[in-house]
Amino acid sequence: MNIVVCLKQIIDYEIPPRAFRIDRQKKKPAMPDASLVIGPFDENALEVALQLREKAGGGRITAVSMGPESAIEALRKALAVTADEAVLLSDPAFSDLDPFGTARVLGAAIKKLGGADLVLTGRQSGDWDAGQVGQLLAEELGAPCVNFAFRAEPGGDGRVRLYKETPGGAEILEAGTPVVATVTNAETNQLRLAKVRDLMAANRKPVPTWSAADLGLDPAALAAGRIEVLDLYVPTYDARCEFVTGETPEDKASALARRLVELKLV
Amino acid sequence: MDLSNPMREVYWNITGKNLMYVLLVPVLVAFFRGFYSKYRLWKIGRPTRRRDNWRRRLAGFFRGAVVQEKNFRDRYSGWMHFFIWGGMLVLFIGTANVALDEYLGVPTMEGLFYLYFQSLVLDVFGLLAIVGLAMALYRRYVVRPPRLHRTPQDAVFLGLLLLVLVTGFVIEGLRIAVTEDPWAAWSPVGWAFAAAFRATGMAAETMVGLHRFSWWFHLALAFAWIACVPYTKLTHLVTSPANIYMRSLGPKGRLEPINLETAEFLGASNLRHFTWKQLFDLDACTECGRCQDACPAHATLKPLNPKAVVLDLRDYMHEYGPLYLRRAQDDPWAAPAETPDGRPVPVMVGAVIAEDALWSCTTCRACMEACPVEIEHVPAIMDMRRFLAMDQASMPEGMADAIRSLETRGHPFRGTGGARTDWLQGLDVPVLDLSAGGGTRGAAGGAGADGAGPDADFDVLWWVGCAMAFDERNQKVARSLARVLHRAGVRFAILGNREKCTGDAARRIGHEYLFQTLAGENVATLNQALGNGRPRRIVTACPHCYNTLKHEYPDFGGHYDVVHHTEFIRELVDSGRLKLDGEVRETITFHDPCYLGRYNDVYDAPRKTLKDLSGAEVREIERARESSFCCGGGGALVFVEERIGTRINQTRARQAAETGARTVCTACPFCMTMLADGLKTTSGDEVQALDLAELVDRATAPAGPAAVGAGTGASPGDGSR
Ligand code: SF4
Ligand code: SF4
Repeated sequence: MNIVVCLKQIIDYEIPPRAFRIDRQKKKPAMPDASLVIGPFDENALEVALQLREKAGGGRITAVSMGPESAIEALRKALAVTADEAVLLSDPAFSDLDPFGTARVLGAAIKKLGGADLVLTGRQSGDWDAGQVGQLLAEELGAPCVNFAFRAEPGGDGRVRLYKETPGGAEILEAGTPVVATVTNAETNQLRLAKVRDLMAANRKPVPTWSAADLGLDPAALAAGRIEVLDLYVPTYDARCEFVTGETPEDKASALARRLVELKLV
Repeated sequence: MDLSNPMREVYWNITGKNLMYVLLVPVLVAFFRGFYSKYRLWKIGRPTRRRDNWRRRLAGFFRGAVVQEKNFRDRYSGWMHFFIWGGMLVLFIGTANVALDEYLGVPTMEGLFYLYFQSLVLDVFGLLAIVGLAMALYRRYVVRPPRLHRTPQDAVFLGLLLLVLVTGFVIEGLRIAVTEDPWAAWSPVGWAFAAAFRATGMAAETMVGLHRFSWWFHLALAFAWIACVPYTKLTHLVTSPANIYMRSLGPKGRLEPINLETAEFLGASNLRHFTWKQLFDLDACTECGRCQDACPAHATLKPLNPKAVVLDLRDYMHEYGPLYLRRAQDDPWAAPAETPDGRPVPVMVGAVIAEDALWSCTTCRACMEACPVEIEHVPAIMDMRRFLAMDQASMPEGMADAIRSLETRGHPFRGTGGARTDWLQGLDVPVLDLSAGGGTRGAAGGAGADGAGPDADFDVLWWVGCAMAFDERNQKVARSLARVLHRAGVRFAILGNREKCTGDAARRIGHEYLFQTLAGENVATLNQALGNGRPRRIVTACPHCYNTLKHEYPDFGGHYDVVHHTEFIRELVDSGRLKLDGEVRETITFHDPCYLGRYNDVYDAPRKTLKDLSGAEVREIERARESSFCCGGGGALVFVEERIGTRINQTRARQAAETGARTVCTACPFCMTMLADGLKTTSGDEVQALDLAELVDRATAPAGPAAVGAGTGASPGDGSR
């Protein structure tokens, strides 16, 4: 079984708002020292893939990431937990793509890889949290899509059995291949630690980089799907304290009511 | 008989004594064969150097094997053991003297030497040996302390030895009774036995016969006992002194680095992965159980017992070691898979030593400190952990989280959602700027003014450490220390975001790879920060950072002058730069952090400072200094939820509270975390945990508003905010 896992490298999601710095001109985060990590749900997706390969007694896992050069670190981490190969999709034309554009690039890469039986993505990226690429990628590949999966097993007749989170329980589905699943977190799919031997081997493995040209994509066409950020800022929370006065409890109550109306809170 | 020359006839009444030498042959064969087969097992281990520096080794040998200092930490067993081995040694020398007289003609069996040594001293020591044995039997079979387990072996060789000694006196008594030895009084015990025989009214011929029988019986018993040595725990007669001589001389806190580029295996999962000395350790164990008594994990019902670790590995080596002697076919580092009769060989890590046992070790070193024969439990446990952590990527959840966080964020506190310099908001703490042309910049994200020119404006680099920077409670300690340093006029700087975890947590989990990555980055940063200009010191308030910076970074090219804040504060007080004028009305007890005390022998500096606090009363916990009981946080266990047994930190908190002190002072951020929690859950708000820096902060706070409310809990004098 050929499994492709799509990973996005993001700025450490544990950085608290007060430490988050933004360049208001460029409308981009400005933290050159910040750690870069794999999106949390993408890690879950990777773990689901690894467990599926174990249960199936074989298969091939390819990790794919679209992003800047630095994203190679995310791919190395995937190789360290024994993904079989990794491909970096990097091209200036890929920056700031909207989910449609991203899905187009990922789709082209998967086709270039010769297709996949199962494509796993995180349910959302962990930075922008749009949560659309998985479904759009399924569209791109002409495959069905299962959302909020947390576990995968080999099904009958070459199908894949997917466990999908539902409010208060789980749905178990079997899908024919190819199929795309977006993965959510569960106790069972926290990404494992790498063995040191694999970690060291991962550092020596080649990771090819594919550009728009390699994928046969036209940069001009991609440019149409570029996101324009109008503004980016860290939301601030203000707390003010005001005392409402009045002679009697009734006075206080009506003063409070008036104030709330003024503030357009009721 | 010449009454002016005291003597006795050697081999009186014994004919055919040469039979003795015939009997000696099988005894010696058994003895040397036994040790040779052990030697072959030790050789399964990897090479290591343990014969360098003979002067230091000999000095340690004298203290450990001759004076036996550690044995005397427990008075009863100290004397008991001294009587037995001292007696045996003297009797052995006495026997050797007989041979000298007989074969080399050295006149040991006549004159005053005979009278004083061969008669009196030997008698007294023989008696002492009997006393020692009686003490041993009483202890093992009547008192039955849990640290001693009882095997049939123990009874056999204790009994055998007792018989040997008693028959020795019987022989002497009979000889004196029959020969009417004029110097009998010089052999008081033999004389008493003689008197007893005479009192029975036994005929002289009977006594002569009995003497001859006893002589041969005594000989046979003694020979049997000697033949037993390599096959029982009596092995320790030979191996324990040797082990003391070959003990590790390196810094106690340094783990042996692994060369990851060339390593053919990671950690230890079978006998081949240990060094020969680690295997030798196993045969040096006297089964005394001191390590078991010292171990905080064992005391709190964890599946770890350092004595059992040693003995289980020893039994494994004795049973399956011989299979290792046949070289493996393909992988020279592999363990034998099965016995010749097809039984599977149990896996060493997992079956012989349980994983849970390994993960219960706080690396507190109490076992090694207690062990009278210098067995090195912690490195062995660490090697097995290294196998689990690196080869298997298997470890408790909390540790795995710490590793994940270290990998991506350079600190082990997963989910803290903080930044490394959060703690210094509002304080004037200069952060070193290591970018090109940098100097120091003020705190609070560069808001402060730049310091003086690059490289010129600090004497001391303060290594803050992750726990101090990220943990809320410990941030207060860091703030206190910052104020104290300012008050003493110390020109210091910190590294801010350029500081990474020293890697102690990763290393003690067993993740040498991650540790070496972090060490490499930190050494580069530190060498840049301290590199040019005058020599500068590193001060740190974390004993784990201290130990790693001081003892482990030299292996990676970092050689620094490191002081712990308790030592540094002491210096500041001694030199008059810090005046402890303020009152600190507290009853205080000091909890020795393992990595400060046992690992680095810093016991007195913090105590002296506490005693200098005016108004303070200092009390000692029963288990203090060398025998301090771990807080439970070492070995990266601070990151792990304690699921098995009772809780170490609560046990320690109770021990501290028993002193009646209302303040438990410590000097380690992990101890702080563990004790604060332990105290809260065992004594509510009655007893508080404070760092030495916080008490000194109080004692040095300028009088005035800032000092008001200084006594109100965990943030003394936090008035500069
Ligand atoms: S280091 Fe401490 S916890 Fe570990 S075995 Fe020794 S005494 Fe027990
Ligand atoms: S390891 Fe040391 S302390 Fe522990 S039982 Fe053996 S000899 Fe005693």
